[in-house]
Amino acid sequence: MKMLVVFEKTERLRHVGHLDLMRAMQRALRRSGVPIAFSKGFNPHLLLTFAAPLSVGMSGLREVMEVPLSEAISESEFKEKLRAALPPELPCVAVRAVDDRHPAPMAQLYAASYKMSVKENAEALISAIPSFLEKDSVMALRKTKSGEKLTDIRPMIYDLKALDGETVACTLALCEAATCKPELLLDALAKEAGLEARPRVICARTQLYGRDFVPLELL
Amino acid sequence: MKEFSADRLEELLDNVLKPSRYTGGEMNAVLKPFDAAEVTFAFCFPDSYEVGMSHLGIKILYDIINRRPWALCERVFMPWPDMADAMRREALPLFSIESRTPLSRFDIVGFTLQYEMSYTNVLEMLDLAGIPVYSRDRTEGPIIMAGGPCAYNPEPLAPFVDVFQIGDGEEMMVEAIECVRSCKQSGKSRLDTLRALARIEGIYVPAFYEAQYNADGTLASFSPVDDAAPATVRKRVVLDLDAAPYPESFIVPYTEAIHDRIVLEIMRGCTKGCRFCQAGMLYRPVRERSLETLLKQAEKLENATGYEEMSLSSLSSGDYSHLTELVCALTERYADRKISVSLPSMRIDSIVKQSLEEAQKVRKSGLTLAPEAGTQRMRDVINKGVTEADLIRAVTDAFESGWSTVKLYFMIGLPTETDEDLQGIGQLARDVINAYFTVPRGVRAKGLRVTCSASTFVPKPFTPFQWQGQDDLDTIKEKQARLGDILRQVKGVNFNWHEPELSMLEACFARGDRRMGDVLYAAWQNGCRMDGWTEFLNYEGWMKAFSDCGVDPAFYANRPRGEKELLPWDFIDAGVTRAFLWREWQKAQRAETTPDCRKGCQGCGLKRFEGVCADR
Ligand code: SF4
Repeated sequence: MKMLVVFEKTERLRHVGHLDLMRAMQRALRRSGVPIAFSKGFNPHLLLTFAAPLSVGMSGLREVMEVPLSEAISESEFKEKLRAALPPELPCVAVRAVDDRHPAPMAQLYAASYKMSVKENAEALISAIPSFLEKDSVMALRKTKSGEKLTDIRPMIYDLKALDGETVACTLALCEAATCKPELLLDALAKEAGLEARPRVICARTQLYGRDFVPLELL
Repeated sequence: MKEFSADRLEELLDNVLKPSRYTGGEMNAVLKPFDAAEVTFAFCFPDSYEVGMSHLGIKILYDIINRRPWALCERVFMPWPDMADAMRREALPLFSIESRTPLSRFDIVGFTLQYEMSYTNVLEMLDLAGIPVYSRDRTEGPIIMAGGPCAYNPEPLAPFVDVFQIGDGEEMMVEAIECVRSCKQSGKSRLDTLRALARIEGIYVPAFYEAQYNADGTLASFSPVDDAAPATVRKRVVLDLDAAPYPESFIVPYTEAIHDRIVLEIMRGCTKGCRFCQAGMLYRPVRERSLETLLKQAEKLENATGYEEMSLSSLSSGDYSHLTELVCALTERYADRKISVSLPSMRIDSIVKQSLEEAQKVRKSGLTLAPEAGTQRMRDVINKGVTEADLIRAVTDAFESGWSTVKLYFMIGLPTETDEDLQGIGQLARDVINAYFTVPRGVRAKGLRVTCSASTFVPKPFTPFQWQGQDDLDTIKEKQARLGDILRQVKGVNFNWHEPELSMLEACFARGDRRMGDVLYAAWQNGCRMDGWTEFLNYEGWMKAFSDCGVDPAFYANRPRGEKELLPWDFIDAGVTRAFLWREWQKAQRAETTPDCRKGCQGCGLKRFEGVCADR
């Protein structure tokens, strides 16, 4: 049995990096007393996987991790125990028990939505959205495993809108084949707005999706 | 200083290295409403988050203060230089991690002094907080306290710190915060609060003492000038360690601390009597925790932290009466939870083979041994009661049990050292390598790695070597080069050494007086901070500070002291008497050893404390 865990990493914890978060979750699981499965071998560790790493500085509202278990446990008991073992600022939001054969969340990932609160030049940036969306293609330098590559990111932008005078929401591709990071969109949008540099934003990933934009944890 | 702005801070945090050093939110951090507390204590560790979070003392005192519903303790660490500069540029005052409260709003700002080279950070942190660094310039705001091993010679920091706590903090800290609480309630002035604090045993308020100097620069007199101040400040001793409070949970950091694990303090103090070792003298008498207490503490801490590693802490774990039982019990209990148990600061005369085998069941870390010196004569001088045969037996046992990484710690510049002693280090390294090859191929693990690490001897107060002058820089450098040549001829040994400049500065502060405070201030003004980090050590800044203040570092570092000289720390009663230390110093020069006092009291002076060493 495996447990899909939805958790939140916000506020001051947005500064915690992926590896540090992973270690914190491993320790939380250890102190929670839930029946976790260890890897075999010389240096046994928890077989914990995250759907998508969050970079330092980015919050996550509904992040997903998968926890393999050594014994069955009810969802409610698991959630209760894990909640008690997590600091108040890193709450477990929901859990879902799935079969061992359930595909890994990482493999099902398709897109993610983000909310950016724009700390400077918000007006200019936001007013550039309509003309930006008119474009058929937006070329951007994308970092890939094989180096930098000029790519059209327009097809990777599924949604982009202003929520108010200083908040931008977007849904972007996030999967193995094609990923558009929010910074990439921000750079392109800043260029469209005639800004010299990317404005300072605080970014939160609000939801992870599988195919057909079904929330990842429900797939 | 500008008001604290959360938005500005967030912007800074997005642009500094490892922002989670400053943001907290860790498991087990204590969050209390700041304004509801009757006494607020900012516990400052004058080094980075990673270093500070590895320190046991802060965990103990954080817990003791926060256990009291009326008191609050929050943590503060030295911001990494990028952050410190950004805060200064933006006029953001230094704040506590938990509630992000500026330090100037606390009742007490307390520093723990673990090593001399963190002193500039004390000044830097006060200044970043917008608190005047000199005590005499403070008429309001927090009381600045300091404790820890370096507080045993508080004089170099005397101009900056209001109140020093000397000795074990468990009881003294409670008395101190209770005193501040009642002074606050009764509306006492700052001066009267300091007077009330000075009446607590173990507390030293430097403003109440005056130092006078002879023409040759040595101390002429040192005496109290206020009725509240005792002529002698006696260190505090927690008699019953088993009953002393110990945290039931540790804060679990996100960013990895240097030591990120459960620590069980199995014992405090040491009876071996190594003559260079300040901790060995300061933490007397020896007190042990019972097996039962330790197992209970281990269980609570494991449930509260989820750590995957447990370590036993003391000055000489091998001397703990129930070491084997403890290691066996812990290994057995926690093996299925994949928790490893490690034994640091193992002394080579006490390695229990069985413990080694138990310990490596879970994980095999490197074996660290500290013979300290290369010849038997030198080891007799320093009273390191270890023979070459002990060492070879210990490493052979370890090699037979599957260890293959050995670190050997030595000191150079010890009193009476000759070239023969340096050659002895090479010989010892060679013997360790030979011991490895005597273990059959199938038994020993592959990949032998031997590292020799040589630090420079620093004479410390309250040790028999407090009268000895340190080798000057040129001599140290010559000896390091010589040792490098010797070890280069031993195949398969790595050699590393410490910055000799750093050891020289350490020596100046370790035995400095109040005038070293001016040098400290000048060095900090020259931009010195984070001196313990090689990449930040600004030696020119230090040398300029010495010359600007007209102080010769050799006076403090290299000058031997005479039997009659009044030493700046003589007014502190650290337990061991000056007579005992002098006797030991004379024996050292004759290379005469003194046995471990577990086998019979050596009359060090601790018995003057009620209830101490009654059974010996
Ligand atoms: S008083 Fe005696 S037994 Fe106690 S620590 Fe000193 S020398 Fe050892």
